[in-house]
Amino acid sequence: MTASQSLEAVLSGLAADRATGALRVGRAGTVYLTRGRVSHVESPGTPGVEEMLVASGRLRPATVRGVRQSAGELADGGERLVRQGLLTRGELQFCVLGATLDAAFFVLAAAGARTRFRPDDRHWIGDQWYFDVAGLFRECRRRRDRLDQVCPSPELDTRPVAPVPRVPAQRVVLTAVQWELLRHADGAATPADLARRLGRPVYAVLLAVRQLGAAGLLSEPEAAPDPPPGTDRGGPAATRAKKGPDAPPLPVRTRTGPRPAPAGDPADLTDIGVLIRLRDALERL
Amino acid sequence: MLDIEDCLREILAIPGALDALAVEDIGGAAIATGRGAGGFDAQATAQGLCRAFHATLDALGPASPHGTVRVEDAIVTADQGLHLVRPLDTPLTGPVLLYVRLDRDRANLALARHRLRELSGRLITT
Repeated sequence: MTASQSLEAVLSGLAADRATGALRVGRAGTVYLTRGRVSHVESPGTPGVEEMLVASGRLRPATVRGVRQSAGELADGGERLVRQGLLTRGELQFCVLGATLDAAFFVLAAAGARTRFRPDDRHWIGDQWYFDVAGLFRECRRRRDRLDQVCPSPELDTRPVAPVPRVPAQRVVLTAVQWELLRHADGAATPADLARRLGRPVYAVLLAVRQLGAAGLLSEPEAAPDPPPGTDRGGPAATRAKKGPDAPPLPVRTRTGPRPAPAGDPADLTDIGVLIRLRDALERL
Repeated sequence: MLDIEDCLREILAIPGALDALAVEDIGGAAIATGRGAGGFDAQATAQGLCRAFHATLDALGPASPHGTVRVEDAIVTADQGLHLVRPLDTPLTGPVLLYVRLDRDRANLALARHRLRELSGRLITT
């Protein structure tokens, strides 16, 4: 399979052959097929099933790891989780299809990536839900169009999320995801970083960021306020802002250090940073 | 414990149920349909339901005394039936809408709401 052949053509071919296996799409991720239907999509840029199971607070990391290892090539990890009574099949299905739709949004948009198909390779969680190839492409295109309908500013997808210091209105109505974003945005974290921090799908965060942008609640990069005296946070905002529109649509994981604290943790350092900056800003008024 | 398709089958077994649909409420995709009498366009219905549901939330937030709103279900009485939408949102499932259209003459709204609440609970209870 050459790079010039479009991913859609490759996947449609595999669907027509009723193929079972894993199609690796460059570094963007992997599409798993079962008898020509998509059973799973994974991307390093979006939270996978494992992360969602843990981030939901339902399963401990060691439990998930253990099940994944014992599932191995049998690909019956999901089956085991359900059999052990750790979650319902409905929950597992929604979790897998949610992770798949989120990853597919980025993997299926990867243009020019080299693809490699490994027949009979299956995801450890097993088959929980199926998408037909054409339907999945259609859904991803619809999701992309929706972002632009909300706010035609693709640069918001990769730029650090910087809420305006003052709301340009008397009242603001927020969705739950928007609230979480505003609470965790520190002017340095990109939407992909925030998705990981919040345990939310990246697409849900992109949509909320575009909505905030359309509502005029995000700062333009050049209008970003100077860091308050005494706080050293020079680097990340400036360097990450350079990613710009040329960056691939895939939100690459940028943090390699320890995972940020989960959303509800009272000792979350990010929040303390926000609070300090908020206090400084209020004192300057 | 139910899986998605069992859940839709059970929803269609509610007295007076005509059509049923499960919608993923991030992108607004129809996930599964119950085979009802209707022959409706599931994708278009899913997208419309999401828009209508979000618009309802947008309106009810400001209309509520404290400015926040948590909708348990939404009911629309229309010429072609009773439309019932129930949101389900857990950290594991993400936001989901369960939808059923009911025959106005045959359905008992209170019973249908009760059944839909129970069935959405069984989706997420082991």
